[in-house]
Amino acid sequence: MNAMGFAWRSLVRQPARASLGVLGVAAVGALLFDMLLLSQGLVISMRGLLERTGFDLRVTATDALPGSGPLIPDAVADARAIATLPSVRSAIALRFANAVVLDGSARGLYTSFQGVEGTATHPWTILQGRDIGGGAEVVINENAATRLHAGPGARIMLRASCTNEEQALPPVAFTVAGIAQFPFDTLNGTTVAASLAQLGEACGGNESSEADVIMVASQESAGPDAAVADVAKLLPGLRVLSNAEAVNRFERGGFTYFRQISTVLTTVTLAFAVLLITVLLTVSINQRLGEIAALRALGFSRWRVVADVFCESVLIVGGGGLLSLPLGGLLAVGLDGILKRIPGIPADVHFFVFQPSALQLHLLLLAATAVIAALYPIRIVARLPIAATLRDEVVG
Amino acid sequence: MTTANGQIVAATHISRIFPMPAGPVTAVADVTLRIAPGDHIAIRGPSGCGKSTLLHILGCVETPSSGTLLFNGNDVTRLSDRQRSLLRLRSIGFVFQRFFLLPMLTAAENIELPQSEANVPKAERRQRTRELLEYVGLAARADHRPSELSGGEMQRVAIARALANRPGLLLADEPTGELDRATGEQIAALLDRVNADGTALVIVTHDPALAERSTRVLTMRDGRIEDETAG
Repeated sequence: MNAMGFAWRSLVRQPARASLGVLGVAAVGALLFDMLLLSQGLVISMRGLLERTGFDLRVTATDALPGSGPLIPDAVADARAIATLPSVRSAIALRFANAVVLDGSARGLYTSFQGVEGTATHPWTILQGRDIGGGAEVVINENAATRLHAGPGARIMLRASCTNEEQALPPVAFTVAGIAQFPFDTLNGTTVAASLAQLGEACGGNESSEADVIMVASQESAGPDAAVADVAKLLPGLRVLSNAEAVNRFERGGFTYFRQISTVLTTVTLAFAVLLITVLLTVSINQRLGEIAALRALGFSRWRVVADVFCESVLIVGGGGLLSLPLGGLLAVGLDGILKRIPGIPADVHFFVFQPSALQLHLLLLAATAVIAALYPIRIVARLPIAATLRDEVVG
Repeated sequence: MTTANGQIVAATHISRIFPMPAGPVTAVADVTLRIAPGDHIAIRGPSGCGKSTLLHILGCVETPSSGTLLFNGNDVTRLSDRQRSLLRLRSIGFVFQRFFLLPMLTAAENIELPQSEANVPKAERRQRTRELLEYVGLAARADHRPSELSGGEMQRVAIARALANRPGLLLADEPTGELDRATGEQIAALLDRVNADGTALVIVTHDPALAERSTRVLTMRDGRIEDETAG
């Protein structure tokens, strides 16, 4: 019987203890797995979301996030100029505002209102109807369609709110051209989008060339870095960021908290796992000191009894580790659902994102846990004085 | 295997001193002892006189503080821990007062375990285990776990386990200490048979009846062999 078989029989001998260990490791392992998914999940998810929009450069007036900083004064002309660069495939100017759609209720439906102008495909996907054309047309997202009971062809009245100051702009009528999916929509958020000119009209008619951001798609042959350099040279007064740089900024900024929380919780869960297994193994070994001393007296080598203990640790951690994966997956889905209810979080952003490197790290940390947790019990059996233990067992 | 002069163990002026907070305690003092194949030795004496310590030294689980201990001609004090483990595995059998069978293994598996550790091929160790179970009269109990066996049956399994790798020397520490008189008598008879079949036997016992079955009876006091008589 080899050490692994022996360890298995030792665990089966005390099923309650073994189950406690395996379930404890499964619970801790699930939490650990989730922390690893969380540590990079938001960054990976955000990167994917940015890439799915079809644009890989963002041009803004300042370093502030689009929508929270000053507008680019002559964004439409700038977008056109950018689109002519050889390293650029297309560019659009995008402006964010708010609006209240008059739906017959006292307060109306508060919604985000986007205006877009440029040479590229619009940053949304038409689900029903068609895209906006010339004239007073909008596309709305599914949440807005549901709440307004409006589909393609419907007429809506909205009152725009285009600055941080109180405004009393007159309501403007629009025709719903289609229902669209917007990449940065929140779970329950409503969005309405029109051309930048129409948004400018709704905002009072004086600001139709201003935008919060110019989104640029680089030529595949040139790549985003070359496009960033070209745009920065063309418009030195504006800030240009590639998707990768934007993600880096997120990582250095708000996303750092998630990584720090993840690191702290990972450390705590690992420490808990080590303590749990160490205690279980130590208690088990202290109950079997006489048997272990007898095995040593019968000729079992020190390494063999050490291997038995180590294999017990590996089996407990291995069994718990295997259970921790589906358990962690389920937990991640639940926690993701809770966290996505935070206001302003795009529905397509996930906090827990599976990646092979997280699984590899999970397995590596569990393996390290098995080794570290076994160290103290191993020390006990390795240094066990055979004769004294046999004597004590008889006297005891 | 024995030395050229036919001795399995040659202990010369061995002592064992344990350092204690209150001062060193001499458990074995200046003992000289030879064990030859076929010897049937009993060690008697009051509690704490050093019987078990001497047995542990003879069984290479304890090293003497001074003196020389040769096992099959090899100086045990010069062997590494691994070499001493190997020596015990192949040449020495141990029987304990409390049996120390592994409760999660069957009787057969307990007997097979030392053979497995000695890398005996599977078919060979199965055969040897069957022989030993028959030898100790427990062929019908092969698949029983220790918890399903009586004290006498457990000690018989322990003797079979000790004989698994065909040791030249069998050491038994109070082998009847946990058994009633009738069962103890059966175990004593089994140990006699083991000795008669060629295995040297050293028994530590308080039981005069068990000691009288030996050919040499050593009486210890204060760590020394005070007296040796023929059984």
